[in-house]
Amino acid sequence: MHRTLPYLGLFAAAVLLQVFLFDNLSISIYLNPLVYIVFIALLPLDTLPVALLGAGLALGVTMDCAMGSAGVNTIATLLIAFLRPALIGMLYGRENAREGGVPSSARFGERLFVSYLVVLTLIHHAVFFSLEALSWTHALHTLLRVVVSSAVSVGFIWIIARIFTAKLPMRV
Amino acid sequence: MRKLFEFIRSVYVVVLFVVLEAIAVSYYARSTYYTQARLLSRSNQVVGGVHGLFAGIGHYFTLGRENRMLLTRVTQLEERLAQYEEAATAERLDGYMQDIGESKYRFATGSVVANTVNRAQNLITVNRGHRDGIVEEMAVLSPDGAMAGYIVACTERYSVAMSVLNTSFRASGKLADSEYYGSIYWDGLDQHTVILGELSKYADPQPGQEVVTTGFSQYFPADVLIGWVESASLNETRTAYTVRVRLAAEMSRLGEVVLVGNRDLFEIRDLQQSEQVEQHTRLK
Repeated sequence: MHRTLPYLGLFAAAVLLQVFLFDNLSISIYLNPLVYIVFIALLPLDTLPVALLGAGLALGVTMDCAMGSAGVNTIATLLIAFLRPALIGMLYGRENAREGGVPSSARFGERLFVSYLVVLTLIHHAVFFSLEALSWTHALHTLLRVVVSSAVSVGFIWIIARIFTAKLPMRV
Repeated sequence: MRKLFEFIRSVYVVVLFVVLEAIAVSYYARSTYYTQARLLSRSNQVVGGVHGLFAGIGHYFTLGRENRMLLTRVTQLEERLAQYEEAATAERLDGYMQDIGESKYRFATGSVVANTVNRAQNLITVNRGHRDGIVEEMAVLSPDGAMAGYIVACTERYSVAMSVLNTSFRASGKLADSEYYGSIYWDGLDQHTVILGELSKYADPQPGQEVVTTGFSQYFPADVLIGWVESASLNETRTAYTVRVRLAAEMSRLGEVVLVGNRDLFEIRDLQQSEQVEQHTRLK
């Protein structure tokens, strides 16, 4: 398929950016942006649910190996890969989604696209940080990490999405 | 039969999701910090070189600070050397040196190629491995000699250390100039402070007091600086202090590290696990 190549590039870019850039942002304990999920967020609208799960598995396992975190990434990424079709159906309508194309602000409208990214990122980060903490003693602390990191992640994901969709024609 | 197939076809995505998620969760549940360190040290064989390149560029910008730190360290050592030289002029050094023999500790240096401070389980990757004589359980100190972690996994060229900012990290620490000791751990809340727990209520920790390692820990030499007392509070039963300790090592700016190995570690451990010791403990 002719759009496989850009997506392979996106996968590689997402993983490399995460491992070599975002994982080294040792600014604050509350800031740990997980931008690699941009790959899941930008897969075509008509991707089969199975393919989404496969992509989520590949991405999660890759990130687990790179970050040495033994499964947290896989758990969180699989979850958003699984929930994505339902989320898009809810926000955008199943009928519209069936036509395919890349999720983007041009396709969804700016507000809808950002809220799609926010929900996806929040779910992912909430699962990731609560599993990493594995206790309720610092629930507020974990919540703060989720909110701060998600805000920064959404910003970067939006920028990457802009770059990615600018190169691609709207309908492939 | 056909209905069964149709049913399976309608739910197979959910089933697949549940199965994959269950595998991932069970793997995570059974993982320890050791599995994670091993995973990271394996992936480092692939990405270690690139990490090293970026770390090299990063180091370039901290050279000035590191130089200043080394300079202060050099002056400190010069001062101590002067003391020894003084002793030598008094012709007593020979007498001292006769019984010392080989030093108990072995020192090596390394560069940090990857380090995080923003997770609950932070690990440090160092560009030295078995090839350079690094083994598991060596202590990792910052260039100015403050506690930073200890090695948990090694490959041929890289090793991974558990950072002091890791909720699985344990060491023992005491107030300088006193014999009261407690356990050092990180509560995961602040990258600049660790906790000195279970400190006796008679210890009376004062803000600013130095906290150093004890000699009991098998990883760290005695009297390695950990940090300074920031605040202390008695626990509910008023039997022990929980002390917040400001870390001396700046974990987010760790560029170069000093690795310290205990030559006698394996001998001591063999002795502790020897049959004679076991026999005596069994008799009780």
